[in-house]
Amino acid sequence: MSKFWLLVKQLYKQKVKAKSFIFSIVLYIAVISGVMFWSDIKEAFFQDEAMQIALVNETNAELEGLFESTSDIEFTFPNEDIADLEKQVIDGEYAAAIFVKDQENSLAAEIATFEPLTFNDQLSISSILQYAGKLYEVQQLNLTAEQAEKILQSETVISMKNLNEQSVSGKSEDEKAAGIGASFLVGFLIYSFVMTFLSMITTEVASEKGSRVLEVLLASVKPATHFMAKLTGIFLLALTQIAALLIIQGLLFMFIDGGSKWDLVMEIANELSLTYIGYAVAFLLLTIILYLILGALLGSLVSKVEEAGQAMMPAMMLGLTGFYVLISGMASPDTMLIKVFSYIPFTSGMVMPLRIGATDLAAFQPMLSMLILIGTVILLFLLSLSFYKRSVLTYSSGGIIQKIKTVLKVTT
Amino acid sequence: MTLFIDQVTKKYQDFVAVDNLSFTIEKGAIFGLIGQNGAGKTTTFRMILDLQETTEGNITWNGTHINSINRDVLGYLPEERGIFPSMTVEDQLYFFGELRGQQKKKLKKEVDYWIDRFELEDKRKAKAETLSKGNQQKVQLIASFIHKPEFLILDEPFSGLDPVNMDLLKNAILELRDNGTTILFSSHQMDNVEELCDHLCLLKRGVSLFTGSLLDLKKQYGKTKLTIRTEIPKEVLERLEGVKEIHVGKDQYTLTLINESYAQSIFDFVSNGKYIEKFSLDYLSLEEIFKDKVGGTHV
Repeated sequence: MSKFWLLVKQLYKQKVKAKSFIFSIVLYIAVISGVMFWSDIKEAFFQDEAMQIALVNETNAELEGLFESTSDIEFTFPNEDIADLEKQVIDGEYAAAIFVKDQENSLAAEIATFEPLTFNDQLSISSILQYAGKLYEVQQLNLTAEQAEKILQSETVISMKNLNEQSVSGKSEDEKAAGIGASFLVGFLIYSFVMTFLSMITTEVASEKGSRVLEVLLASVKPATHFMAKLTGIFLLALTQIAALLIIQGLLFMFIDGGSKWDLVMEIANELSLTYIGYAVAFLLLTIILYLILGALLGSLVSKVEEAGQAMMPAMMLGLTGFYVLISGMASPDTMLIKVFSYIPFTSGMVMPLRIGATDLAAFQPMLSMLILIGTVILLFLLSLSFYKRSVLTYSSGGIIQKIKTVLKVTT
Repeated sequence: MTLFIDQVTKKYQDFVAVDNLSFTIEKGAIFGLIGQNGAGKTTTFRMILDLQETTEGNITWNGTHINSINRDVLGYLPEERGIFPSMTVEDQLYFFGELRGQQKKKLKKEVDYWIDRFELEDKRKAKAETLSKGNQQKVQLIASFIHKPEFLILDEPFSGLDPVNMDLLKNAILELRDNGTTILFSSHQMDNVEELCDHLCLLKRGVSLFTGSLLDLKKQYGKTKLTIRTEIPKEVLERLEGVKEIHVGKDQYTLTLINESYAQSIFDFVSNGKYIEKFSLDYLSLEEIFKDKVGGTHV
């Protein structure tokens, strides 16, 4: 086995067996499963009783049919007087009493509560009342059932026609929604992986340098071999983690709850184009490589492992910036901020997939962003390789800038 | 198989770490590189290991430039501990052996031998971070020569070792030398250098103050250290001709003579033709010569 693969094997074996690595996979699966199966978990563990709402109909119309009980809200229609009902609300028998009356052919409602309603409950009740109000008004117009149905179900058919031949064909709303959802997942994964493996490689190099084992290793292998072995070992770990996540999560989706979540994932995946998936994977892997190179370089600057946190701070800020820009684009993926950051190499991996998935953009734009990213990876690799050789055996104090100055001073 | 350092200089922007250094180490020799902290010892080692480039001069191993040789012929023990904290003793030795081109199967015999020799059998499966400082030093030392290097560099190999382990290490170094390994080492413990080295180089701020055999260095000063046990008062002894300095010990005097030719007359005076319990004329110790050369009291 060559020295390069021996170093890779040693690093990979040591890290893949580490409790922290296994724990991080479990944590990712727990978080993703928690989000995906939240409704089932909620049902199993938090079976709240439905909120009791007394509804008093003071109109002449038949309204009971408009207020259907759900698992969260149970409507009852008592015939008691207002004072008695209000007392029952105060006593906690009802969460709220709603008094509905006619006001100039429109529905007016008064909600009486003792304990304030939560924001979500208030929204749910408001939504039901708004819908009931529309139905009430339709009833007042004395329309036929078909006419009423038509008005209530009316929806404008919208289609897109793209006049720009250079641009890709317009995406449907469903495709864009799927693109936003998938992009958030891709962006979140890139951000999480980048932070995890950036920290891992910086600490790894700093630890070897701090413990002086690096000096022994470099007596046997060239710094370039060592640098490449660190990048390869940690990158293989990242691939292992991605593969483990995909396989375990996929199996969980397939076999839990009759595969309903797997169907949902497939449904979203079908809305995404192959181009999107290809770009997302390429951005994911390239961004991880970019941050690994930066992490190894920063790790080589410190004198002891305790300084690794401080050294990786600038790279973490870059990653965090990309993630915040991605979040800002969830509601509106067409802003100038999103456009600018989709070309900056350290953030494009998180931001460009959002633009590809959720906006209509010319084919050259993601291609250009990808080329800038590839160019930066190559450039940073060459620069880091040259600098690594000089910094890896230089020990100095002070901040990162001071350390860089020292390296340059003692090696030129 | 010789190491040849030829007029090597290492300059940084604002200082010279090693200045025009030259020496040769013959095959199977033990060569000592001594100097105060910051004298340039580690820089010299790093240049030999091709971890740092020379500014001027050449370093060759058996006639080949050091950056062109197969690095597996070298072994290196750095001054500070350099082992993987979470790796077991045994795995560590196999890893470093394999890294230096040995096959795992062939390493077993060596690993077992040295673990036994350094009394580490019960620590074989222990993680390095759980070992005492001395045991870590032993593991690191074995790791530096487990691949049977032709040329071994030991930077402060004795630091952190108790007298028993120090003897173990000295014997191991001599065994390696007997098996043909050429050894270059540095130490602040001059008695160890004196015991092990045939040749040495004395560095001060990157400049060689002396390079050659230990005996030649001692001969430069001559036999000027005279130790005597006598009832004669100090005031009388210090007035004797040829006495430069006198040091009063617990039950003896140590006199520094101007040169050894005065010893005979001092002997005649002190013994006065009778039995004398102690009269010993010797070379200065390496530590005394070192202090004299570098002009400091700290080694």
